[in-house]
Amino acid sequence: MSVSFSDRVRVAPDVLFRLVGDEGVLVNLNTEVYLGLNPVGSRMWSVLNSATSVQAAYEALLQEYEVDPQQLRADIEQFISQLLGQKLIESAPAA
Amino acid sequence: MPPRHHYNVYGIGIDSDTPLALPRQTHAALCHVQCRRAPASTFARTVKDTPGDELPSDSWYRYAALRDGSTYVRWNKVGEFLVTADGRRVDCRRERLSSAESFQVYLLGQALSFALVKQRFEPLHATSVVVNGQAIAFLGGSAFGKSTLAACFLSAGYSLLTDDLLIVHESSGRVLAYPGPPRIKLFPAVATRLLGTRRGVEMNAGTSKLIVALDESRSCGSPVPLRRIYCLAVPRDACRQQGIGIQSLSPREAFVELIRGAFNRRLAGPKRLEQQFGIMARLSELVPVKRLVHPRAMTRLQEVRQRVLEDLAH
Repeated sequence: MSVSFSDRVRVAPDVLFRLVGDEGVLVNLNTEVYLGLNPVGSRMWSVLNSATSVQAAYEALLQEYEVDPQQLRADIEQFISQLLGQKLIESAPAA
Repeated sequence: MPPRHHYNVYGIGIDSDTPLALPRQTHAALCHVQCRRAPASTFARTVKDTPGDELPSDSWYRYAALRDGSTYVRWNKVGEFLVTADGRRVDCRRERLSSAESFQVYLLGQALSFALVKQRFEPLHATSVVVNGQAIAFLGGSAFGKSTLAACFLSAGYSLLTDDLLIVHESSGRVLAYPGPPRIKLFPAVATRLLGTRRGVEMNAGTSKLIVALDESRSCGSPVPLRRIYCLAVPRDACRQQGIGIQSLSPREAFVELIRGAFNRRLAGPKRLEQQFGIMARLSELVPVKRLVHPRAMTRLQEVRQRVLEDLAH
């Protein structure tokens, strides 16, 4: 499952997210799946869900972390793919 | 007929039409649950139209979520219970062969947990003892060794707060742990070795565990601040364990353990999950949660207790 970087992603309906300390926990109320995110995953979640597009989130995270751009792109693709697979986010055309 | 007996357990006011082995209600309760006897016909009528696949007739445990939101549960040869959708009333019937003690264990444990969840509490599957005026809780499923470890603390003069079901409640920025019934469930050999008694009532026909009543010197009847939660290892891992280890959990790891440690895992659905998510996330932020691994050997229990006490001192 993949998403275009020109799209944006948003938290799926009936998904709850909460920061506990600097980590995150999620639950999908429909599928009853719980998920924990480490501090980096939690930051990626927050940036992705507030950005106007995946590309915008990618650029913001590139500024924030010392990371190889290609590696970050691959990490974001994999992260989004997992979240879509668990029905925790939805994609939509950029606003 | 209005309930004639008023008790307090887990911080909950229990209004009952029959006497229960509980402390009388003397202070304000977090919520109230009414327990009343009902004839067999009430339960038969209620479950009559329930789909058969939810009620296998030959099982030890029967459960059904009824259309009106109420819940039916029955333990064969113990009793049956009907918990209203709002969790404010439990109708119950004790089976002829069940002892009063055994029946009350199920009424005040499993059956009451449905009422508590419906009233927006999240009972934990934990046994708790009081150390220096604060509660420590041992979290884990059945056969994880919660009660045995607690009994080891009792043998050193500490008191029991609750066995098996723990209610915690946040008040003015701190988390209070509430006292359960003054009794502990132990295997006879453990009761003999750690409490010096074999006096107890058999819990049910499927186990040799005894319900051992505790007097005031061995039980705590007041809510106390919850200091720490120790998650116990699953029995198959604990059996392989040689050393004793205590490891801090991050709030995320603690959250997962708390979700896993829910006493009532039957009630589901979006409303329950949302409630559980909020309460457990908050608890994981407020109370330190640690993983405790130790060998499953009676001869090592004092050592485990000592390690826990040392951990509390830090």
